[in-house]
Amino acid sequence: MCIMEVCNIKYSYDGRKPVLKKVSAKFELGKIYTILGPSGCGKTTLLSLLGALDSPTDGQILFRGEDIEKTGLAAHRKNNVAFIFQSYNLIDYMTPAENVALTSKLPPLPILERLGLTKEEARRNVLKLSGGQQQRVAIARALASDADVILADEPTGNLDEDTAAEITDILKECAHQMNKCVVIVTHSNDLAKQADVVLRLKKGELQTKVR
Amino acid sequence: MNFIKRAGLYCFRQRFKTLILFLVLTIISTFILTGIAIRDASVGATADVQTAIGGKLLLELDTEGHMSSGQNSWGTVQSYNGDLITNEIVDAISKVDGVVDYNSEDKASFYGAAIDFKYLPASFNLSYTSYGEASSYTATLSSEKCTEFQNGKYQLVSGRHMTPKDKNVVLISKELADYNNLSVGDKINMYCMDSDSKVKFEIVGIYDGTEGTSGNALTVDEIPANCGYVDYAMMFETFGKDYLNGYQQLTIYVEDPVSIQNVYDKVKALPELKGKTLKLSIDTDDYDVVATPLDSLQSLVNTLIIIISFVSTAILTLLLTIWIRGRKKEIGILLSTGKSKRNIIAQFFTETVMVAMVAFASSALLGKLIAGKASDFLLSRVTSGTANLNIQISAGYLLPVYMIGIVLIAVSVAVASWTVIRLKPRDILSKMS
Repeated sequence: MCIMEVCNIKYSYDGRKPVLKKVSAKFELGKIYTILGPSGCGKTTLLSLLGALDSPTDGQILFRGEDIEKTGLAAHRKNNVAFIFQSYNLIDYMTPAENVALTSKLPPLPILERLGLTKEEARRNVLKLSGGQQQRVAIARALASDADVILADEPTGNLDEDTAAEITDILKECAHQMNKCVVIVTHSNDLAKQADVVLRLKKGELQTKVR
Repeated sequence: MNFIKRAGLYCFRQRFKTLILFLVLTIISTFILTGIAIRDASVGATADVQTAIGGKLLLELDTEGHMSSGQNSWGTVQSYNGDLITNEIVDAISKVDGVVDYNSEDKASFYGAAIDFKYLPASFNLSYTSYGEASSYTATLSSEKCTEFQNGKYQLVSGRHMTPKDKNVVLISKELADYNNLSVGDKINMYCMDSDSKVKFEIVGIYDGTEGTSGNALTVDEIPANCGYVDYAMMFETFGKDYLNGYQQLTIYVEDPVSIQNVYDKVKALPELKGKTLKLSIDTDDYDVVATPLDSLQSLVNTLIIIISFVSTAILTLLLTIWIRGRKKEIGILLSTGKSKRNIIAQFFTETVMVAMVAFASSALLGKLIAGKASDFLLSRVTSGTANLNIQISAGYLLPVYMIGIVLIAVSVAVASWTVIRLKPRDILSKMS
């Protein structure tokens, strides 16, 4: 089922050379998407537009058929999408449980425990956790929001090989078992190989490859 | 998690920043609180001064156009040919509602040579009467209301003050009493050269305050200790109606200074004053002496409160701007999780208000200490001890401090947040990374 659609979007910084030229794509629930491309090609920009962190210069982004500009960008961020960043982006004066509680009214401990954190670790300051643990907290926060779309920007970029594999498995589980639409921006070919759909950005244009 | 809980977590976990903010807010609120307390104390002191000093009306001779020239053995003399303030006028005035007292004071209006006592000696003994040199006396209705007793230069140490009902009484200095071994109740006789008569006086009061003021006096009447106070009834009898038929001026004391204009109107309308060459005016000199510095203090404190408010807002804004710019990552995360900009600003505002609640309450304690010191300082420097400046910090003062403080915080948070919040979420996140 198509949950989100990008329709002929263009994006340029201050009206100069366009970063994205008439990009269109469809995203479905239960699938994992990776966006590949060289540095500076506009991968993170596309992810930001999907997550309503910015607005396209032209074109539309539809969520369940509705233009997110019309339903509200903050509402889209709050209800429809959840972010996972390369640098985890956890609030440093909060515990993992409190970080997860930012987006959830549900008790955060069961979610954290499901992702492999102990109760003691869930109540520790986030800065006292390892990189892998911090990324699990970030994923827990994304899951706790109950958003249909998870947008991940280089989620394994700061992690060692084994931990990266574990995080990849969790993201696959999110897509295939929890029926989320997971969109990942990455440079990692290993991660790209796990995707159901690979999107490649080249000179501002998108090429789609379905596995 | 709502913004109030996030604010509480921030204040609790970022203890060092909370402490700095607490100190800054405590200092700001203490300044504002003390300023408000000083201003209110000064308003209270002004009201007290008004009540203590009371109001005064002054009835004087209108000499303009009522002076005539004449010749006597000394040459050309100017004399007043208008109306005097008669006892009938004084009686009518004393019955006006709101008039509590009155007095007339005429310095050196009686010269008496000592018949059965001696004046403190001067450098020259002129002996121009058969009883030696004469000294001057102030004729008055109520000696207590005379200038030297009012300003505290003289103090009654024995006996009583003379009142309008007294006749042939005198107040003398302690120095003169000691010199002649005189005390209250003793009778003394003086020779009045102007009326060529002897007058007998009863000493009703003895005062001090003349000590050390004689200097190198050439004549006895230049020695303050030789100059006393005599009653007007004696003056009228001794000089007779042809020579003295009234008072030169009359000070009228009003019960409530606030209603002085009302009393003025009533006195002015008295039939006894109609068509008389007399001037009636409101005398505010005594009040002005004390109230002017208090008014200046009020203006100064009001200005200081405004300046402190502006400076405090600037300091607080600067501090919060630095901190909020350092919280870009947090703002970016909150925006990415769907929190609105308004929700994030509400968190920053709540954090500052939470600390302010405690800081403002603490400033009441600190303010009490400062108010005591400020009270002593201002009492000696501003009012010179003439007014009681009772600076107190009461719970009621905290309300304006909280109100002013919360407005200052709202402005500071709004300005400080704007530097980051105005950016697009993506810009914040890209600056963050």
